Amino acid sequence: MTDITVHRPGPRAWAGLLICELKMVARDTAGLIVPIGLPMLILVMNASSAGRETIAHGRTAFDVYVLPLVFTMVVATTGIVNMPSFLAYYRRSGILRRLGVTPASPALVLVAQAAAGVLQIAVGIAAAWILAMLAFDANPPMRVGAALGVLALTVAAMYAVGLIVAAVSPTPNSSVAIGLSVFFALGATGGMFGGRDSLPEVITTIGQWLPFGAGSQALSAAWIGAPIEASNLIGLAAGLVFGGVVAAVFFRWD
Amino acid sequence: MGTDADHRHRRQGLALPNLDGMHATTSSPAVEADRLHKRYRSKVAVEEVSLSVAVGEIFGILGRNGAGKTTTVELIAGLRRPDRGTVRVLGLDTRRDRARLRQVLGVQLQEATLHSALTVTELVRLYGSFYRDPLPTGDLIESVGLTASHRTRFENLSGGQQQRLSIALALVGRPRVVILDELTTGLDPEARRQMWATLERLRESGVTVLLVSHAMEEIERLCDRVALLDEGRVAALDSPSGLVRRAGFAQRVTFRAATPVPDGLLEGLDEVERVRADGDRVIVEGRGDLLQVVSVALVRAGVVATGTRGEQAGLDDAFVALTGHRLDTEETVR
Repeated sequence: MTDITVHRPGPRAWAGLLICELKMVARDTAGLIVPIGLPMLILVMNASSAGRETIAHGRTAFDVYVLPLVFTMVVATTGIVNMPSFLAYYRRSGILRRLGVTPASPALVLVAQAAAGVLQIAVGIAAAWILAMLAFDANPPMRVGAALGVLALTVAAMYAVGLIVAAVSPTPNSSVAIGLSVFFALGATGGMFGGRDSLPEVITTIGQWLPFGAGSQALSAAWIGAPIEASNLIGLAAGLVFGGVVAAVFFRWD
Repeated sequence: MGTDADHRHRRQGLALPNLDGMHATTSSPAVEADRLHKRYRSKVAVEEVSLSVAVGEIFGILGRNGAGKTTTVELIAGLRRPDRGTVRVLGLDTRRDRARLRQVLGVQLQEATLHSALTVTELVRLYGSFYRDPLPTGDLIESVGLTASHRTRFENLSGGQQQRLSIALALVGRPRVVILDELTTGLDPEARRQMWATLERLRESGVTVLLVSHAMEEIERLCDRVALLDEGRVAALDSPSGLVRRAGFAQRVTFRAATPVPDGLLEGLDEVERVRADGDRVIVEGRGDLLQVVSVALVRAGVVATGTRGEQAGLDDAFVALTGHRLDTEETVR
């Protein structure tokens, strides 16, 4: 049968799938509260204790420590908790299998889901940033380019960790449980529950290599205009590679 | 395949695939499975399954739960890799030519869910966007009777509505071969009749349908031929009426005898093939005008019979005769 030609889903399919993924995210109200509401809450709670004294180059402790922490949280909740729970649900419910018998590749879904997640992160960060500017006179980072680069690398690393969570969790519920555990473990070592100075040294050392600590420390450095620690960048890159490999080995479509 | 005028006419119908430029060569089968074998760990799910489905045929796959029906269609859909054997759909190898297969094969999977928060219209549009020339969204939704709930999210649809949407999505890409796994499970009688009508229209438009079912009535009514699966093997492959003939009898008469039936009375009749007793009931199997012949013989012999009933043998009788199981239970009959 030579008359059957392959028609690859075009831009319309990609756009349609992305819009559908966004609708799924937007209609999952509870799923939106964590990545957008929680960081704003942390922002407000830490704003008073951070103080307004300038650390360097006109940047306050709030700018240098609280904002990077909050932005990293937005990225981590979306990448490690939300994205894997969607993937686990898609797999469990047979959505990936159903798409597997259409001309659309299930990989298309992963890409659309990732893109929807990035948009979600952008909204979460924008919301936190607007609140920070309006309520706490936040200052932009000294090195905007470096900050954006670090943010992009952090997103990639967190997604890679999220893919591990999606690959190892058997059910949607367990993926939320595993995702939250990983999120809190990474957050704890990365200074989410108080300054890194108050943590035992060994944890601080580990934390600066793991995606959460590495991401927020590198963002802090970009904010204050300091050079970014190589260990942070290596940690983020290693997380990305490790997560990608583990997910590629263990990920199941059904 | 017909003329261009035929095609135009056919395309006016709802949910009918566009066959323009898609003339199948009638000589080669739409689906050809050759000695398929699939094992899951220690359990053999499908063993030496061979079947050939002609273009335009509605082909039934009938069997009990666990007989290997779903595995068979998953192998045909290219969702699983057979341990041995090959499958070709419209001449395409289902593993190597997957990309081309996906263009022409529509699949409705048993118990596959869709994006829960998307509406009927959104889902039909989304799945349609994957194909070159999808059916118009509104027409397709109407043809499966979901117009009134086109803005309802998938998670809020009833089981029957979800089923109908799932069938719509199998048809949205104008497929040439459609696999429908448990088409009418969970549908009410009205919706079931609607689905059957949709299938009849598909047949008229030349689409090949592979219908997995354990609903006898559905198979008898719709299918041109049926493969009867039992314990992973094809126990029989024939038209529904051919299968019934293989059951060995066409008619059955049952009655309760209030007085003894003389030995050899019924056995001696030409039309009678077999007589057996089931408690106080007598079951007579045979052919011709069996009810009339048996009644007359009983009256002449002065036997008082009550509750006399005549039945045509059906596919379920054939199933029992050919596999030794009833279709709807796990019990073995003989």
